Amino acid sequence: MKAPVATSRRGSRQQFELSIGSVPLRLQMSDARLFGAASARYAAFTDAAEQPITIALNDGATAEGALADFGYEFEGAVLRAFSNQICFDGVRNQYALDSLLRIFLSWKLLGHYGFLLHAATVIRNGKAYVFTGRSGAGKSTVASLAPEGSVLTDEISLLRRDDGIWRAYGTPFWGEFRAAGSNTSAPVAGIFRLLQAAENRVEALRPMATLRTILPNVLFFSPEAEANRRLLEILNQAAREIAGYHLSFRKDRAFWEVLPA
Amino acid sequence: MSTAAPVFWQKNPALAWREIDDETVIISPQDSVMHELNNTGSFLWKNIDGKKSAAELAELLAANYEITPDIALSDTQALLAEMSSRKLVVHVPTTGEVAT
Repeated sequence: MKAPVATSRRGSRQQFELSIGSVPLRLQMSDARLFGAASARYAAFTDAAEQPITIALNDGATAEGALADFGYEFEGAVLRAFSNQICFDGVRNQYALDSLLRIFLSWKLLGHYGFLLHAATVIRNGKAYVFTGRSGAGKSTVASLAPEGSVLTDEISLLRRDDGIWRAYGTPFWGEFRAAGSNTSAPVAGIFRLLQAAENRVEALRPMATLRTILPNVLFFSPEAEANRRLLEILNQAAREIAGYHLSFRKDRAFWEVLPA
Repeated sequence: MSTAAPVFWQKNPALAWREIDDETVIISPQDSVMHELNNTGSFLWKNIDGKKSAAELAELLAANYEITPDIALSDTQALLAEMSSRKLVVHVPTTGEVAT
C-alpha cells in the first residue's frame, strides 16, 4: 500500500495530505493511533497538492468567541469551519473522522460546484454511471455486479462541474462493498434511480423528475438558507445538464444492456 | 377600534427554492423537507412578495388562468392555508402589529 505523505510538525504532531474530488486537504493530528488508522483508510486518496485546506484534529486551539462559517456536531464530534482554519474536535476514532469529513465536504463543495450523493458509481467505456437510491435500493448490488476495478464507490459519489462538464469522483466513503477505492473521475453518462423489478428497463426523466430523484439522496447538513439556496442552484443545473433515468433492474448483469451508451 | 386590515403574505425567508418546468421545488433547511408546487402553486408562489393580499393574488390567478373570481379566491385561500400550515408562507406584520 502506498504510504501517505507524513511529516512531523511542531513536536509530535503528524499530518498527511489527501484529495477527495480534487479538493485538497491536510489532516493534522497528534494521536498516533488515529493517525495510523486514518492514513491507512485514506491511503488511496493521498495527494500532495498546493494550498490544501488544513484541518486540525482535536487541537482545541480555536479563538474563543470566533464565529464559525459552518458548524456541525455528530455523536460528540464537532466540526467548525472558520475563514482561516478548520477544526475537528472530539474525534475519538476513524469513523468519527470519516463522518466529519463527509459533512465538511458536503459544505465545502458548494464553492466547487459539486455535491455528495448517496450513489454507487461505475465506470464503463470511460464514462461514469451513477446509480442512486435509498438504502436497500440496490447500490451495493450494482457495484457487486460491475467488473473488478470499475467501481468508484458503492455508497457516496461526488459530482462536480469542471469546465462545463459534470464528472463523478470516487470517494473513500465506502459502504458494504469495501473494495479498494480509487481516486479517479470520469464524465457522467447519467444518473439512474434504482428500482428493483422483474425486468430491465430504463425511462428517461425530465429535469424536474431528475431533481426529484437527486434531492432526497444528496448529503447536506447545513441548516442555513443561503447555503441551501446555493445547493439548489447547483442541483438544478445538474438536473438540467445530466441525463436522468429511472432504471428498473433485476439483480443480474443483464441490466447493462438497456443502459444508454 | 380597528377595522380588519388586509393580510399580506410573504415567503418564509428561511427557505430555498427553485422553479423548474413551471413547477417549484422548495427546501426547508431546518427540517430537511422538500416541498413541490404545481403550476398553479408556482404561479402564486412567484407573486407572493409581501405586498399582496389573498384577494389580490386571486385576481392575478383569475386573469392568468381564465377562471371565475370566486373559484380563483377559493383556490388561492386553500393554497395559502396549505402553504401556511407547512410554514412556506407567513403573514407580513401589519403596521398596527408593529407599532404598539
